Amino acid sequence: MSRIFFYPNAHAVFVNTLSNVLQKNLTQLKKLLPSEDILSYEFETADGVSCAVVYADGMVNKQLLGDLIARPISRLSLKNEGGMSANTLEIVQKATLFPELKKMNSLQDIVKEVLDGNSLLLVDGVKGGLIVGAKLLPVRAIMEPPTDIAVKGPREGFIEDIKTNMSLVRKRLKTPNLRFQSVRVGKQSDTLVEVCWLDGIVNEDVKSRVLEDLKRIQIDFTPDSSYISAFLAPRKHSIFHSIGKTEKPDIFAAKLCEGRVGVLVDGSPIALTLPFLLAEDLQSSEDYFISPFTATVFRFLRFFALFVALLLPAFYVSAQIFKIQLLPLGLTLTIASSIRELPLSPSLEMFVVLFLLEVLKEASIRMPKYVGMSLSVVGALVLGETAVSAGFLSTPAIIIVAFSGICLYTVPNFVETGSILRWIFLIAAGSIGPFGIVLLIAFLLCYLLSADAFGSPLLAPFSPLVAKDLRDTVVKYDLFSLKTRPKTLDSDNKTRLRLPRGNP
Amino acid sequence: MNTTPFLAPNNDSVYARQIAFIAAFLLPAAKFLETPSLLAKDAAGDILLPALLHFILQAGVLFALVYACSRSEKTLFERLNEWLGKGAGAVYILFALYYLFAAVLPLLDLEKFVYAAFYDTSPTTFSFAVFFVFSAFVCTRGLKTLGRVGDICLFLFVLPFSAILFMSLGEADFTHLLPVFGEQFGSTMSAFKHTSPHFSDAVLLLPFIGNLRYQKGDGTKIMAGYGVGAGITLIFLAVFFGIYSSIAPREHYAFSKIAQYFPALSVIGRADLIFVYLLTVVLLFTTCLPLHYSVDFVCRTVGTRRRALFSAVLNIGAFVFVFFNNKRYNAFYGVISGKLYLVFILVADILPLFCLLLPKKENKHA
Repeated sequence: MSRIFFYPNAHAVFVNTLSNVLQKNLTQLKKLLPSEDILSYEFETADGVSCAVVYADGMVNKQLLGDLIARPISRLSLKNEGGMSANTLEIVQKATLFPELKKMNSLQDIVKEVLDGNSLLLVDGVKGGLIVGAKLLPVRAIMEPPTDIAVKGPREGFIEDIKTNMSLVRKRLKTPNLRFQSVRVGKQSDTLVEVCWLDGIVNEDVKSRVLEDLKRIQIDFTPDSSYISAFLAPRKHSIFHSIGKTEKPDIFAAKLCEGRVGVLVDGSPIALTLPFLLAEDLQSSEDYFISPFTATVFRFLRFFALFVALLLPAFYVSAQIFKIQLLPLGLTLTIASSIRELPLSPSLEMFVVLFLLEVLKEASIRMPKYVGMSLSVVGALVLGETAVSAGFLSTPAIIIVAFSGICLYTVPNFVETGSILRWIFLIAAGSIGPFGIVLLIAFLLCYLLSADAFGSPLLAPFSPLVAKDLRDTVVKYDLFSLKTRPKTLDSDNKTRLRLPRGNP
Repeated sequence: MNTTPFLAPNNDSVYARQIAFIAAFLLPAAKFLETPSLLAKDAAGDILLPALLHFILQAGVLFALVYACSRSEKTLFERLNEWLGKGAGAVYILFALYYLFAAVLPLLDLEKFVYAAFYDTSPTTFSFAVFFVFSAFVCTRGLKTLGRVGDICLFLFVLPFSAILFMSLGEADFTHLLPVFGEQFGSTMSAFKHTSPHFSDAVLLLPFIGNLRYQKGDGTKIMAGYGVGAGITLIFLAVFFGIYSSIAPREHYAFSKIAQYFPALSVIGRADLIFVYLLTVVLLFTTCLPLHYSVDFVCRTVGTRRRALFSAVLNIGAFVFVFFNNKRYNAFYGVISGKLYLVFILVADILPLFCLLLPKKENKHA
């Protein structure tokens, strides 16, 4: 049966399924895969039957292919085994010592498999071929993710290879309930996206919506999970993220156990989790491996630091311009002496210092490590110190921006949003004063309160108030108090912990 | 323009818990501005009595609303639509106009308060103008969002109010409130009359109760929430008069300065203002409530869910009104609380009682 399919970089191609003539198949494949990195290796069996392996150069384990596929087949006498018949492929399959083999006949599927790094084994006189899963893609080693460092607790992180990532999840959730469903995204990249969940625990509506949304994506290239999250996010232009992101399989597995849906994207070390609650940003994986009291203190610290990071520069400016009463008298005098003869207005001064901080931050991330060291010396000492002694900037402004910058890094997932918000608060404070700050807080609250992501309100469990779920937000209760899954996620299976009788 | 059928039921679901929180934490915030000095002006040491009378009256109206709501599985507004058909539109328009009227004093109060509490020097009117951008945004949101505002205000109100109360309690001399009934009954009634616009609470909960699908226990929650709100207001009034006593009538917007005598503030600066500003977030939402309801009821009558246009028009109008009338603050106060207080009693206290007449079952001819 003839079929039409569209192949990347090609016009409509009329193709058949594989024929039983090896050379004809190879010619057909060469037409479909004209690129020079698609190679074919031809060899013969002991009784002279021609065979070939087609593969993408650099993507297969050639040693494995030679030792476990070509060598056993080359010793085979196919004609003696019963002639070339319909079951020849079974004979070949048994002769090889490789476990991952799949019969395939459709050229469209074969092309996809070869481009994905698998090899195609063809035997002359046999219709169809065998896909050999001897993939050897260049992957980096599993290591601690730089964005999510924990002093205590597991240190493994996801890498760019989706199969490794899936195995890292499976390693932690050895249950038949862990399900993966593949979706291909990207017309050109044909990126493999795996949606995973725990059957019986996940909210089925959320799962179906995620799968539907993924299937609707029309894009050429998907290099990273952030592309996928942009499509899944309910508010496309929001500065607040509405999809959870993690680089750690332990966090990912824990979120699946809470009833969330996970999304792994081939080529990305960052996994997505949905639905997302804003309170998740305040949590750290370490909170679950230390005493709940310490975790609570740390969370309060992060919560407070976040507000300081966002509001301190703005309040400093608005206090100087509009409401000096906000500052204690002693501090007012200190500031007055340091800003005397300063050429810039308070808001412009803060703007310059904040701009310097952002530039230094951006440069230090992009710079090579050995240059980064000298950059921090130049930035912190030369620029800061000289600017103050030259009377261009005041010391309090530099202290405030530096402290605000440090505070923001206590909540790493909020750094991007926080940096933008800090600017907006500064503009509001410089132009309208403290009322501008208060108004902006109210505005952001109203904006966040009206945001839902996959059926869960972004500000839950604070609003709508779910008293039980507050046990793992700013306050962290002990393990035995978290017997049920978060009510906000509306999981089908509510209980996650049962204590034996007699236990508290 | 996408329109839904005339008087289509609003699918903005609200919970009794959220209504209770709004009654407990949002409504009292508006009473911290001009109400205490107005009450003190007429009632002096009996400042709590007219407030208590108001609360009893409002609790009665609220109870009637909740009772009417509990009599059917349908919401009050659904029953009203079925009962009156297109005539319900007239009721909504009447309430939309009332809410506009009721928004006048809170807006003028808020403007004066902002200038007093947020600025050392006198700012331009445009500093307050941005409030209307916020208000316009709030008005485009559904009741569901406002219900969630109620939830979040639990946290936003309790912490700053407790802190302000803690800092000011030490300065309060509650003997100023004694003897009870120390003033003439006429003074109490005069204070009651002049503060009617400030205490029309039940009607501010009407759009929520009108959309509530009643469940067992909802009435208790709402009434308890209102009780908490009343308690909070009475405590604040007592502390206010305990501190300012005879000069209380001149202490406008006292909640921004009530805690300034706390000894530690002389060392750390006016940290109490941080709590005042946090409480102002709640106050901003409270001030938006009548404007939001007005937009909501107009949209309900017209049968559209596209609120942005109505919200923009209404808020531009409100801004123009405030811009041109902020100098006539006293005149407006005199007219509204001195002469037009009957409008509040009629629309806010008497008219909602008619919901008790709503038939329990669906009117098949409607």
